[in-house]
Amino acid sequence: MTIKYESQKIAQNFYTFAVLLFLVQVVVSIIAALQFMWPDFFILNFNIIRSLHINAMVVWLLAGMMGATYYVVSEESDTELWSVPMANFQFWATVVTVALVVLGYIWMGINPQANSTNLFGTGVLNEGREYIEAPRWADILIVVSVLLFLLNNFMTVLKTKKWTGIQGTLLGGLTVLALMYLPGMFYTKSMVKDQFWWWWVVHLWVEGAWEIIAGALLAFMLMKVVGAKREVVEKWMYVEVGLVMFTGILGTGHHYYWIGTPEYWLWVGGIFSSLEPIPLLIMAWDAFRTTREKRVVTNRAGLYYTVSHAIFNFVGAGLWGVIHTLPQVNKWTHGTQITTAHGHLAFYGAYVLLVLAMIYITLPAIRGVKAFNTSRAFQSFWWMTISMVFIVLTITGAGMVQTYMERLMGLDYVAVKTNYNLWFWILRAIFGVGFLYGVWIFAVDYFKLGKEPAPAVAPAPEKA
Amino acid sequence: MSNKAARNLFIYGSLFFFVIFVMLTIDTMGKLDKRAPEITEEVNAGKMVWHKYDCIGCHTILGNGSYFAPDMTKVAEKKPKDYLKQFLMDPKSVNTKASMPKLGISSKEADDLIAFLDWISRVDTNGWPPKPILATAAGVAVKELTAGQRVYQSQNCANCHMVSGIGGTTGPDLTHVGSKRDRAWLFGHFKDPKAYVPNSAMPGYGHISEQELNDLTDYMVALK
Repeated sequence: MTIKYESQKIAQNFYTFAVLLFLVQVVVSIIAALQFMWPDFFILNFNIIRSLHINAMVVWLLAGMMGATYYVVSEESDTELWSVPMANFQFWATVVTVALVVLGYIWMGINPQANSTNLFGTGVLNEGREYIEAPRWADILIVVSVLLFLLNNFMTVLKTKKWTGIQGTLLGGLTVLALMYLPGMFYTKSMVKDQFWWWWVVHLWVEGAWEIIAGALLAFMLMKVVGAKREVVEKWMYVEVGLVMFTGILGTGHHYYWIGTPEYWLWVGGIFSSLEPIPLLIMAWDAFRTTREKRVVTNRAGLYYTVSHAIFNFVGAGLWGVIHTLPQVNKWTHGTQITTAHGHLAFYGAYVLLVLAMIYITLPAIRGVKAFNTSRAFQSFWWMTISMVFIVLTITGAGMVQTYMERLMGLDYVAVKTNYNLWFWILRAIFGVGFLYGVWIFAVDYFKLGKEPAPAVAPAPEKA
Repeated sequence: MSNKAARNLFIYGSLFFFVIFVMLTIDTMGKLDKRAPEITEEVNAGKMVWHKYDCIGCHTILGNGSYFAPDMTKVAEKKPKDYLKQFLMDPKSVNTKASMPKLGISSKEADDLIAFLDWISRVDTNGWPPKPILATAAGVAVKELTAGQRVYQSQNCANCHMVSGIGGTTGPDLTHVGSKRDRAWLFGHFKDPKAYVPNSAMPGYGHISEQELNDLTDYMVALK
């Protein structure tokens, strides 16, 4: 495994940034888990820790996708990137922007009044809107960075004009991603309209643009790990991402049940979001069928992560979502820990495993190794996956208790959280440590891959 | 189906659904203002305070946000305004068990925020959050309420106080209040809480009749 073009190495910068932020995300998650039991546990309040946890994740997944895209586009277009210096500049500009935003969050955590100053219409340190907490000046820099990234990739494609289905879909998804950041960049006086447009960003990213990117990368990975035929994987890719859009766009309606929006959204959201698991099921079936047909496995770790991504995308994003998507159910579960459980398994399956799979498939080529020791890759996979499954089960349990006691019986929120759900919080924190251990093994593997002696021969037994 | 046909189906199908989505969005935007009270300057200022302190980092509102602290959609309907103000400015002075830190919210900011919370509590949310069915059912089923229990219900005391596990956690638990306080203390406290507990954020109930206060006191004394 070697890369065809020198500029594909740029992917490694993005991967390294992603791996470091993944570690940050999971370290702060332990703090957040402990704050559920001891709210005053840390110098920074829960809101800051949670912003760091989720923002770090969004940024590292995006960084991973960007790195993967530079790699894929260069390979699919059969040429060097249009401008490697620009890709480098875009990388470092992103790193600096993210670092400034993080420092801002921490400063605000220490001194909440520091966010009083207004700049371009939001607080200078924090916009105060979930997931898109980054202040407006940072939004603008992020948009510039994404535009430079898109320009570079499109110019690369134009060099040879080889519009393969995979890179067309990949860049299409990334363009939608860039456009769908814009509805989150203006102020409205009405909290109802605020949340309405906010869901354009959040839903049309994770259940729209990101799933298109996932579909395209899944097709690429299936070609890479088992040598599947382009014709076939591309056709299924179109079917999958097509169905994602047909169900997902109007599926946004499942966020418009109870936020002050008209009643017809109960029908639109209920019907279309119930169909959202179908394309994810086809993706999982596609991954299984394709990998069973081909017996030539060139990258076992990559194959493992690819198939697991497809399975957990369906289970986490599909099944754990559809259980509470009907208005009749959602009326009772909306805003409870059930949503948290869905969020955790969906992001782990759909995107964390996706980016890790891409890293395991492209990194050996970037580092120029033919084979690598996969034992750490499997170890980290099992530590992370088993821990995440139990984290999700504990939060699902907490959500069921909360739905029953608070929503159905009418007990107080705080009473349910501090008394009846305490054991779930304790167990969640314990499994969180297990997950952190898995991430640590992965990070070690990432930095050591290809830099150790070749594993072709089993190590000689030590002399007694 | 050829690859090209599949691609076209993906592209044009997506555009088709996106156009429908945009049309529904335009229709919705035209209807939203009628489903909510007017947004005054004070309400908007309150919304800015909400963003400034990143309240959504712990709370949910309209059910969206973090699931670390209670939902704020109906809080203005359930808790007395004076209580909310005192709590916002210094949470632990009102409720020593409160998880919320003192953020430095000013008196003006608290007023604006309460105006905003009052606005959101009156938005038409298609009936969310639903009334808890078991608690509602229990209220109907218990026919033999004492006079004091009826006052306790009609004044919504359970929004803040708990008796035998049912009720809010913002005020003290009243399950054993009868063994801690005597009749005179309880009766006087209802009329002017601050005279008995200097930090109290409970509103006075001097405006309800002496008979009702007596009945309520009977009920409290019996809680041992």
